[in-house]
Amino acid sequence: MSAYQDLSLQERMLLKFEAEEFLYNEADLLDSRRFDEWLNLLADDIHYWMPLRRTTQAKEVEKEFTAPGGMALFDDDKTILTMRIQRLAIGRAWAEDPPSRTRRLISNVRIDSIDEDELTVRSNFKLYRTRLNSEEDSWIGRREDTLRRSEGGFLLCRRHLFLEQTVILSQNLSSLF
Amino acid sequence: MSDALIATDKASVDVSGCFDMATGILDRRIFTDEEIYQEELKKIFGRAWNFVCHESQIPNPGDFMMNYIGEDEIIVVRDRQQSINVLLNSCPHRGNTVCRAELGNTKSFFCSYHGWNYDLDGRLIGMPGEDDFYRNNIDKKDWGLTPAAKVENYRGFYFATLDPEAPPLEEYLGWVGKVGIDFMLAEGDIEFLDGIHKNRLQCNWKLAVDNLYDWYHVKVSHGSAIKIGILDDAAMAPDNQMVILGEYGHGIGGPGISEEEQARYDARLASGEGEPQWYDRHAERRTSPETREMLGPVGTRSFGHPNIFPNLWIAQTNQVCLRIPRGPYETELWWFNFRRKGMSEDEQKFSAYMQNHMFGPAGVLEQDDGENWSHSTRGAKGTFSKTLPLNLSMGNKADQVSQDPSGQSCIETVINEHAQRWTYQSWQDWMAAENWPELMANHSQPPTGEV
Repeated sequence: MSAYQDLSLQERMLLKFEAEEFLYNEADLLDSRRFDEWLNLLADDIHYWMPLRRTTQAKEVEKEFTAPGGMALFDDDKTILTMRIQRLAIGRAWAEDPPSRTRRLISNVRIDSIDEDELTVRSNFKLYRTRLNSEEDSWIGRREDTLRRSEGGFLLCRRHLFLEQTVILSQNLSSLF
Repeated sequence: MSDALIATDKASVDVSGCFDMATGILDRRIFTDEEIYQEELKKIFGRAWNFVCHESQIPNPGDFMMNYIGEDEIIVVRDRQQSINVLLNSCPHRGNTVCRAELGNTKSFFCSYHGWNYDLDGRLIGMPGEDDFYRNNIDKKDWGLTPAAKVENYRGFYFATLDPEAPPLEEYLGWVGKVGIDFMLAEGDIEFLDGIHKNRLQCNWKLAVDNLYDWYHVKVSHGSAIKIGILDDAAMAPDNQMVILGEYGHGIGGPGISEEEQARYDARLASGEGEPQWYDRHAERRTSPETREMLGPVGTRSFGHPNIFPNLWIAQTNQVCLRIPRGPYETELWWFNFRRKGMSEDEQKFSAYMQNHMFGPAGVLEQDDGENWSHSTRGAKGTFSKTLPLNLSMGNKADQVSQDPSGQSCIETVINEHAQRWTYQSWQDWMAAENWPELMANHSQPPTGEV
């Protein structure tokens, strides 16, 4: 068991409150298209990863996700994430021009472990998107985040995303999760 | 098997005149008409050699993966004798699917409805109540899973056709299709990686095929990717384009270099002197005599995108992509990924970086492609807009096919729409022919002289 379980109820409530505050604020920055401010919340060594998922037989469910380092929907470092954001600002990013309207719902926040200055936090998400007049997508999944304490507050240094779709049913994943 | 799996009725849709090769004018109803689409499933996907897998994806007996021929689900499975079988995923008892996983390993395919059980080659092994309920009055050998009419492979790439009259795979591919596949083998043997990027677009499958030859859209569609530096503008080579057209609609289109540039490259390579050029990254992969022999003198100089008709795009990123029809307005893209055996760790990392970041639903290139193809499909739906012609005239009657003594031929020019015109012309041939003998007799031959 992690040290987290040994903390008092009050200490756990405080930690969970801090983590939730970070996650809700971060989601709000993306929903509000304040992408540069969102980038500032990322540690320089961030790993942002969403593996591919497949339908498998029940007896082979260990094959459901592709392995780390293999094929993935996102396998981004800060450089790639910065490029994704820059792309939106410089024009001709047609999947986001006109911009999508997005709303992120973050729930079921649980702290997994604490390790010196890092917190591992699990949460569920729903990302709802509409585009133009009639396009509608939504993605549901779970996240495993690692938040690191720094002078200005938490930084996100790991985000692993597990989507509840195999074939991606939207025509792109131009939103960030 | 003697009878065609797909019986085409004689009173079929007439699409002659949908595309005019002389002017490059295209009737946009071919992207939205339900009748035309149903006919495509029979006459194109039902007859063609469809890519089903690479041998390395299912290396062991019992390994299987699901795929599609048109809209029909197929199981691709390696049996105990190491043969790769292609079976329609439909139990002959009530039609239920017998395989629901996308990939895996199994001893047999067991129908979840009543328990009919099939061996890895599709043979019906048994069912509950064979004695008691059927009173041994059923001949199991007549009721196996239906196999594809033919399964053949070219250098580890497996294809299947549902039409017993189809010519042998290598004859179907011709030199153009074979060179397209050889592009992937230019540096040696390859193995496919675990994981196929799959997503669904609201576009007609032909618009996604058309686009793979399209080097005109890059600067505009992918303007943002060029600006952030992930796509090299110079390597798009708008003034150094090479188009290769093959029988039955295969083609290769995109950057290429002239014989003179190839000679300059070879001289630079030998002397170690001179400035690097945009094409070095491609050319350096094709220096061995074996590779040049495999690709031929023209194929060696082409760095474009091959398409194996109808829907297998071979990309320059260690990937192939199937454009799988899902109705007139919907297409699934499946990005298969591979690596060369013996790649260094750095090379593998770079390859995976490209595979995960350029194409696929989150790819910085393909996000914008999907948007354009879907809206082009939408533009073919309006009651009035669908009656308006589309213009595919770029470079029409402006270029020459040059014939190499080796028998290979190509068009060397600037950005153009030759390969798209060839695709629609060939599509029309496929749709006009009632069967393979007619298609073999009447299909357009790759052009010579002025194009």
